Amino acid sequence: MKLKHPIAILFIVLLGMTANAQWKKNKANEDTKIWRYDLECEGIAKQGSKLVKVWSYSKNPKHAISRGMKNAVHGVIFKGYAGGGQGCTSLKPLVKSVDTEEEFKEFFEAFFADGGEYLKYVSAATDGSIAPGDRLKVSKREYKIGIIVNVQFEQLRKRLEKENIVRGLASGF
Amino acid sequence: MKKTVQLIFSILFLLTSAMVFSQAKKPTLMVVPSDVWCNTNGYMMTFNDQGSSVKVPDYKKAFQENAEVIQVISHINGMMGERGFPLKNMESVIKTLNSNMAEDNLRSSKNSGSGINESPIDAFKKVAKADIILQLTWTVNKTGPKKSVTFNLQGLDSYTDKQVATAVGTGAPSFSAELPVLLSEAVLAHMDNFTESLQIHFDDMFENGREIIVRIQKWDDWDGDLETEFGDEELGFIIEDWLAENTVQGRFSTTDMTESMALFEQVRIPLYNEKNRAIDARRYTSGLSKFLKNAPYNIPNKLVMKGLGRATIILGGK
Repeated sequence: MKLKHPIAILFIVLLGMTANAQWKKNKANEDTKIWRYDLECEGIAKQGSKLVKVWSYSKNPKHAISRGMKNAVHGVIFKGYAGGGQGCTSLKPLVKSVDTEEEFKEFFEAFFADGGEYLKYVSAATDGSIAPGDRLKVSKREYKIGIIVNVQFEQLRKRLEKENIVRGLASGF
Repeated sequence: MKKTVQLIFSILFLLTSAMVFSQAKKPTLMVVPSDVWCNTNGYMMTFNDQGSSVKVPDYKKAFQENAEVIQVISHINGMMGERGFPLKNMESVIKTLNSNMAEDNLRSSKNSGSGINESPIDAFKKVAKADIILQLTWTVNKTGPKKSVTFNLQGLDSYTDKQVATAVGTGAPSFSAELPVLLSEAVLAHMDNFTESLQIHFDDMFENGREIIVRIQKWDDWDGDLETEFGDEELGFIIEDWLAENTVQGRFSTTDMTESMALFEQVRIPLYNEKNRAIDARRYTSGLSKFLKNAPYNIPNKLVMKGLGRATIILGGK
């Protein structure tokens, strides 16, 4: 009888932890569902890559950091960025039409799922720490967090070409 | 059994042929240093043309003496190759032309000792050429100890003279970076925008047809001209009607029309003919050539081509 209580407590605690983790994950997904972020060029990267700073918005700064990579890949595919300092030139999005995301909904949902394929095309360009100037509180309950990442632009383009989402330069010839 | 195998092979052959023919003719691209760059860097030759001094770029000297131009071209060639569009290398083209010329001069027939036949036009055409020229210019800007590079890459259609792609801009100024590093950064920064604009040009071509130029001329000794009437219609209008019926959505512009010549620009031709074979300006204009040769017009003519995008019909004989 004595043993039953600790097992029940342990079970309840584990259940609570799982539910909490799931809630946090859902919350993070909710925060990035509308793809609210800003993308800017951070410099000239090595051949085939783009070095970008992505600013993500969230009520919880941790969510903004975890979603930064996803937002960066999404931004390169659908938004592009304007040029800027450090020799940056503007970058047009890989897809030409705003309807493409809806047209290939199934592919992009799987691609941008948690732990999805998008992770293959992005890596952190810093040691993970956020500079003080890149952690901004934009309102009472919202943060804007900037992280610098490296997007494997060429590989990403080739992947989308393979799916016929993007047309290759030599296709048709 | 033998018949079945033969049938399978025949079907496979037909399918392969259809696949091969359904590819549009691929334009050739080549990076060429611009006249401005050659002039600024002292790679020009000066000729005396009937009293007036004429300057032309000396590409051979530029490739032999300037390592930076080789570096930039090599970088661009590499990046275009990765996009599935390997470029012609101008330095190699010049070398091949020179070696071909030397071989042709030395060659003689075993039987008669005769040399290779070459008309003045053939000789004139023996130059480095491509369907799209990637004209390259860069300038080094200096403000005190700071250096920056202004980079300009223009994709020029050799036939329509239109700029079909571009990438231009000035890189970030640097105190310490050396010129080759700044040039490398400039290529990396601009090539994506360049290929992007080139892609827009190709997309337009696939949608609206290839843009070519058609010229009509006449031999001196032909007694007809473009104002000669067939029925109630002048020959010039008959040719225009043929173009209207055989271009994509009837698109073409009559730029010039006199009694002895006509110039049609922005002629949009389909990429494939009715047999699903890829066509270029020559193949397309051969249709007009045959149309004029046959009754009721019976005009003998000569068809002359220039690359994928320019064709001339000379009326009155071969």
